[in-house]
Amino acid sequence: MSCGHLLDEMMMRPRVAQMIDEDIALRTLGEAESKGSMLLAEVRLERRDMRQLTVKEGQVSSIITSRDAGMNVRIALPSGVGFASSNRMSKSEGSKLVQAAYRQAKNGKRKTPVMLSPEPVVKTSWEVYQKRKTADMSIDDKLAYMRELDKAVAKTGVKVQGRLFELKDYEIDSYFANSEGSRIASFLPRITLESSNLVMSGGETAQSIRQWGSSGGWERTQEWALHEVLPQELRMLKRQIEKGKGIKPGQYDLVCGPEVAGIAAHESCGHPMEADRILGREMSQAGRSFISPDMLGKKIGSEYATVIDDPTVSGSYGYYAYDQEGVKARPRHLYKNGIINEFFHNRETASRMGVQSNGSSRSEFYLREPIVRMGNTFVAPGDFEDDEIFGDVKDGILMHSFTEWNIDDKRYNQKYVSREAYFIKDGEIAGPAKKCVLEITTPGFWGAIDAVSKKLEFTAAECGKGDPIQSMAVNTGGPMVRLRKVMLK
Amino acid sequence: MSELRDIAARLVGVAEADGADDAIAEATDSRTHLVRFSNNEIDAVNSWTESRVQMFVAIGKRTLASDLRDMDNLDSLVRELVANARRAPENKGYGGIASGRFRYRLGKADRAIVNIKDPSKHVHDAISAAQSEGAENVGGTLFIRHTRTGIASSGGALASDESADAELSVRAFSQPEASGQTVSCTPRLSKLDASRAGARAGELSSKAKDPVQGEQGKFDIIIEPLFLGSLIHSTTRMMSAMYVDIGRSMYAKKIGKQVASKEVTIIDDPTIPSTSQRAFDHEGVPTRKNVIVKDGVLKSYLHGTSTAKKFKTKSTANAGMFIPTLFSIPTEPMAFHPVVKPGDWKTDELVADTKRGLYLNNTWYTRYQDDSTGEFSTIPRDAILRIEDGEIVGAVKNIRVSDNMLNLWKSVDAVSKSAQEVFWWDEASPPSTLPTLRIREMNVTRSS
Repeated sequence: MSCGHLLDEMMMRPRVAQMIDEDIALRTLGEAESKGSMLLAEVRLERRDMRQLTVKEGQVSSIITSRDAGMNVRIALPSGVGFASSNRMSKSEGSKLVQAAYRQAKNGKRKTPVMLSPEPVVKTSWEVYQKRKTADMSIDDKLAYMRELDKAVAKTGVKVQGRLFELKDYEIDSYFANSEGSRIASFLPRITLESSNLVMSGGETAQSIRQWGSSGGWERTQEWALHEVLPQELRMLKRQIEKGKGIKPGQYDLVCGPEVAGIAAHESCGHPMEADRILGREMSQAGRSFISPDMLGKKIGSEYATVIDDPTVSGSYGYYAYDQEGVKARPRHLYKNGIINEFFHNRETASRMGVQSNGSSRSEFYLREPIVRMGNTFVAPGDFEDDEIFGDVKDGILMHSFTEWNIDDKRYNQKYVSREAYFIKDGEIAGPAKKCVLEITTPGFWGAIDAVSKKLEFTAAECGKGDPIQSMAVNTGGPMVRLRKVMLK
Repeated sequence: MSELRDIAARLVGVAEADGADDAIAEATDSRTHLVRFSNNEIDAVNSWTESRVQMFVAIGKRTLASDLRDMDNLDSLVRELVANARRAPENKGYGGIASGRFRYRLGKADRAIVNIKDPSKHVHDAISAAQSEGAENVGGTLFIRHTRTGIASSGGALASDESADAELSVRAFSQPEASGQTVSCTPRLSKLDASRAGARAGELSSKAKDPVQGEQGKFDIIIEPLFLGSLIHSTTRMMSAMYVDIGRSMYAKKIGKQVASKEVTIIDDPTIPSTSQRAFDHEGVPTRKNVIVKDGVLKSYLHGTSTAKKFKTKSTANAGMFIPTLFSIPTEPMAFHPVVKPGDWKTDELVADTKRGLYLNNTWYTRYQDDSTGEFSTIPRDAILRIEDGEIVGAVKNIRVSDNMLNLWKSVDAVSKSAQEVFWWDEASPPSTLPTLRIREMNVTRSS
């Protein structure tokens, strides 16, 4: 996966219009507009075909297929925002949704009038290209892939309980229209695999719960190289159990692998930089943020702490070309050389803060209201080669990956416990370290970085936010980052 | 209401006519109204309607499930499903579906909830009450749900169910780092007490004012029902036979063993009036009261037909959904309404009897290093009140409970008389009825 743009994946796509009856959207929009003066009306139609195969110990455990379609209407008036949705798609259903959304918006009685940032009108269509369409593949082909994976795990000789693998692929066809004239058709296929394994040795255990995910077709599974990666993971956990030694609590130089850098980027940079959270909109669920609007331009970390969110990373799990308000996606430099630089915005939060939306409005599916979300959040690569990162560490730890983790709702106190970790002695890796615990503040983490390696790697994840909770496909990522003198337990 | 049951029965008939040996159809029609509020005002209102049929078919051991949402073409979709099942690979662990002559207790929805036009009054009541107790900033959600369900199976299940509920969540801030959170969840609109929930959230936020950095060490903790709801979420999941089977449970090989203190009895009871009361599980088996932990001893896992067969026992009528929800596994047996049996302590007696402790309102992000061992941590949020010599003496912040979940349950030494239904977001979920607990000597950590 590269960190670039995807001109190759954005193309006009007449197929979308064949799948979804645009006339339903336009008639519904017309009906909304006939209600009179309003800030904005939006209509989204969506179809989603999904297939899921669960394999346990090489045997089929569950096969699911589903076809889903529905629509939503969102109406913004100065008095409030109304959002109505249904899993039916017709002109008469659209009419009902308009009535409901308009009534909700009108009855909102906001003391702070709703405002939306002005955004360009967009007329386009985009799709993510699949070299090999997952929808065209037989269940037998997918099962063969999963069984090979299970065999590769079994062949390691590592004692494993679980061997549970879930493969899911789906395509989202969507058509969006708003009262400002934007019309966007899109086609977004995704594929993801989750694995759950418990490694056992000598009465001890180590758990591995992993996910891989991409946008695109079956070809993405080849990039994951799971037939090599998973056996390596399980052998590694066996070594961690058998050879790992506990660390003496104290100050160490800590090198975080890409997976750890990625979760920190997502949790202690991405989430606190969501403008809806900063403005308090998520206060009773996902929480607030230690960051306030006046902290833009303030220092949060060292000059090496740069975190970017880029939804346009080619093939990424969190890919999108336009957000769900029709705003073009682009990279956002969240922390830039240690400075709080740019929040995630939708049109409403952008307007509140006097800026333009940066295309961060997403929803899990058509029944849910779009809210401010991340795409692919990662620590920006630096100049160091991997071995240079270790080079002048005299007594340190490499935390390559994590198991238990959490962070408070203001996103200030975080904890990561290692799944794979090693001692570093005089610049060299010196054997496995067991269950290292980093419990640190957000400025403590980002302020301690003094080196960042060149090679960027991504991990797929499902991010939960909103009420009802909306799962969102994202990537987290980073290179290796080195933190000086942090407390480990 | 019988319309959905009839649709389900018709679809099972279609599946059988096309050659399915087993079939289950669960048809649902739901309407949800959501009011979101923050910064002391309503900021969005959402509503949605959802009609769907979760359909499962089996031909021998060839099984297939589908979430059917095109309600105008259900029959043809079922025929297509059966045809695809015929070509599906075998599911060798498939243990069949429940069969028998079932009798159901039918649910009855409160018409006051079903017919409510504008629930925003309750939101304004909650905000005002919180402000009257010192809150500066109040936010939350109010859900109004009405769900009708019909189920049929080739094993003899045939029933309808209906529920309606109101779920209010209020988080109040008296200062940016001083908050309290409460819920009021009920299947009866007359029992929705928005003012009380708001007032309590406001009161907690006032008590949580001027928090100081919490210290590391061992503390007795008193946890409110909302906090306990988050622990019950992961604890009852690990009581699911599916999680035991895949190595993600600290309860493996512990049937008949002491897994909690003698003060602890955990029951799954979807038969009592609650927001998750239900007449049948997802196989159509009538739900029942199941004692999972009695006086600290693990009595049973949660089972559907397939896991029961594998574990050589009977279904507990906890069969899970064929189409999984977020972060769940297809068909995983699940608790529907966990209940922790109340004890005989008043909440203020718990505080008065505690020498050095923390009173904890709520938590989130309970995460495990390894589900099979139970090493975990969780982050208290909202009011964290310090107890010295039986008195609340101030508020703290920025702490984490980092311990072992089996040890936590074994360290419960006092349970309150009063209990409350809680359901909040993806944390205190599923809806559960819980008391306040005191847990001795928990390990508390903090960032360095």
